Amino acid sequence: MFFREEIVVVAEGSWVVQAFPVIGENLPISTLEKVNQVEGVKTVVPMVVRFGYQVEAVIQLVPTNVSIGIPFGNLSVLIGQTPLKPGGTWPVVAQEEVVVGPSLALEWNFDAGSKIKVSSKHAYMNLTVSGILDTRSALLSRSIILPLRLAQQLSYGHTMFVNMIIAEPEYIDQQELIANRIEQEIPGLKALSINERNQIVEPLLSDIETWNLGLSSVLYLLSMILVIMVSTMNISERRRDFATLDAIGAPKSTIFRIVMIETALIGLLGGVLGVLLGSIAAVLIASIYTSIPLSLFFADLLAFISPFFLTKIITSTVVISSIAGILSAITALRINLPETLRAEY
Amino acid sequence: MIVKTQDLTRIYQLGTSIISAVNRVNLEIRDASFVTILGPSGSGKTTLLNLIGLIDQPTSGKVYFRNQDVSLLTDKERRNIRLHSMGFVFQTFNLLPTLTTVENVELPLALAKISGQLQHKRAIELLTAVDLSHRLHHRPRELSMGEMQRVAIARALANDPCLILADEPTGELDTETGSEIIKLLVDLCQGKKTTVLLTTHDKKVAEVADERYYIQDGKLEYESS
Ligand SMILES: Nc1ncnc2c1ncn2[C@@H]1O[C@H](COP(=O)(O)OP(=O)(O)O)[C@@H](O)[C@H]1O
Ligand SMILES: [Mg+2]
Repeated sequence: MFFREEIVVVAEGSWVVQAFPVIGENLPISTLEKVNQVEGVKTVVPMVVRFGYQVEAVIQLVPTNVSIGIPFGNLSVLIGQTPLKPGGTWPVVAQEEVVVGPSLALEWNFDAGSKIKVSSKHAYMNLTVSGILDTRSALLSRSIILPLRLAQQLSYGHTMFVNMIIAEPEYIDQQELIANRIEQEIPGLKALSINERNQIVEPLLSDIETWNLGLSSVLYLLSMILVIMVSTMNISERRRDFATLDAIGAPKSTIFRIVMIETALIGLLGGVLGVLLGSIAAVLIASIYTSIPLSLFFADLLAFISPFFLTKIITSTVVISSIAGILSAITALRINLPETLRAEY
Repeated sequence: MIVKTQDLTRIYQLGTSIISAVNRVNLEIRDASFVTILGPSGSGKTTLLNLIGLIDQPTSGKVYFRNQDVSLLTDKERRNIRLHSMGFVFQTFNLLPTLTTVENVELPLALAKISGQLQHKRAIELLTAVDLSHRLHHRPRELSMGEMQRVAIARALANDPCLILADEPTGELDTETGSEIIKLLVDLCQGKKTTVLLTTHDKKVAEVADERYYIQDGKLEYESS
């Protein structure tokens, strides 16, 4: 998570997600100095953050793209020790350079040196990509990080506003205290310590969890349905064969064994197919939901579908196949022999 | 006497209507005879054969197999008789589609726990006898219907049974192929003194028998010998 030890200051009433204001008022640049003067605040960093969402899509946890404006001297506040992919360099403000996240870069085919056009209703800019971030953070991965001045121009058409301020307290254990102090001393501000941010994010995280659960359920259900479908299909298709075995005097134990092994094997096959199809379905859904390109998911499929989960699914496939095998073996022994022999196929 | 029935009756109840598919049948089949039962569709041929073949249980009356009242047997004993002493030939062949010709014939031998080598040897002998030595590794769907029925005959004979029960074995075949199949059954079984009980709705087929019966509405009548 971003800004562990820092306080996130936004306008009162802003909606903050993952430490960034998603919706809310802007702050006059003079707020920066006011926050800086609050006792116990060591440094302040102004930022402009804009989330771009695809309009057609459902509510997205990960936006289509994010533009973040920050004074490049303070970049480490945002990205920590994140390196650049080989070939890139850190931007020089005067040359109107930006760094972009890997997912965006992949999607738009950006390299270090690529020229990009960024426009808003306030401004139109030709920028140069100086480097690609090497990060796994979903948010940074979809980000364009610009010099603060450019982000302000794009956002407002001037440089008199920002929409968030990162305030670093002198002492970490004073986070709550100083956040409260900022809110008391400067009206119209919301200062969020890490705890307060977590509280806001929590329902959202649980949303993600639900979503993950949903995805794994899709995977799970698909493979289980396949196991059951394939085994019952086989059983009904082979009823007559089992009846024939029965008629020519095969011992019950033999029929039981044949049916059980056959069904279990076929069920297993269905399960493997189900895991494959289910994984693809889950990834497709996730990709649509998060607008992260499919190729990124497939490049890292195992990170997305954990080995632990795979093991779990394969184990239950084996268990379900065996149960299906035993059940169908029992059914095969309970057929009405003359009726089944008589049935037309 | 290999088979004897005593007032053998099988009643089906469908809602309020009661069908006597087999109605007080008294039948005696001598060892090594070739017996046919002629009857139109729905007359009770399959039901009667299922009762004699220990596949179905009578509503009343008795079946004696080699003087043994079969109603006293356990399921396991009945299976054993079906496996070792009877051979079944079905109208629709009932070969196992996933097995090859030779495997289909080996199946009853395997079920009777004959050793693998002997199984194979015997299966090939039988398939040669039914003139299918050139189709050993084909699967049923690659065979003609006449060939399928010949595989079925080889399978029925595998464990050297004393009784072959053939329920309309020519029902799906054209006349010429049908008479070839009947000839094969006669040749193979007469040589080994295997008893055959065969049903048909075809008068011509019925005529090959030593003893002929006619069945209608579950009532069996002796025709001639
Ligand atoms: N499971 C069943 N339930 C009700 N009636 C049946 C059933 N099986 C057979 N029958 C009836 O018993 C009669 C004899 O059938 P079946 O023995 O199959 O005759 P066949 O083999 O001579 O054509 C027919 O009227 C048939 O409809
Ligand atoms: Mg019939």
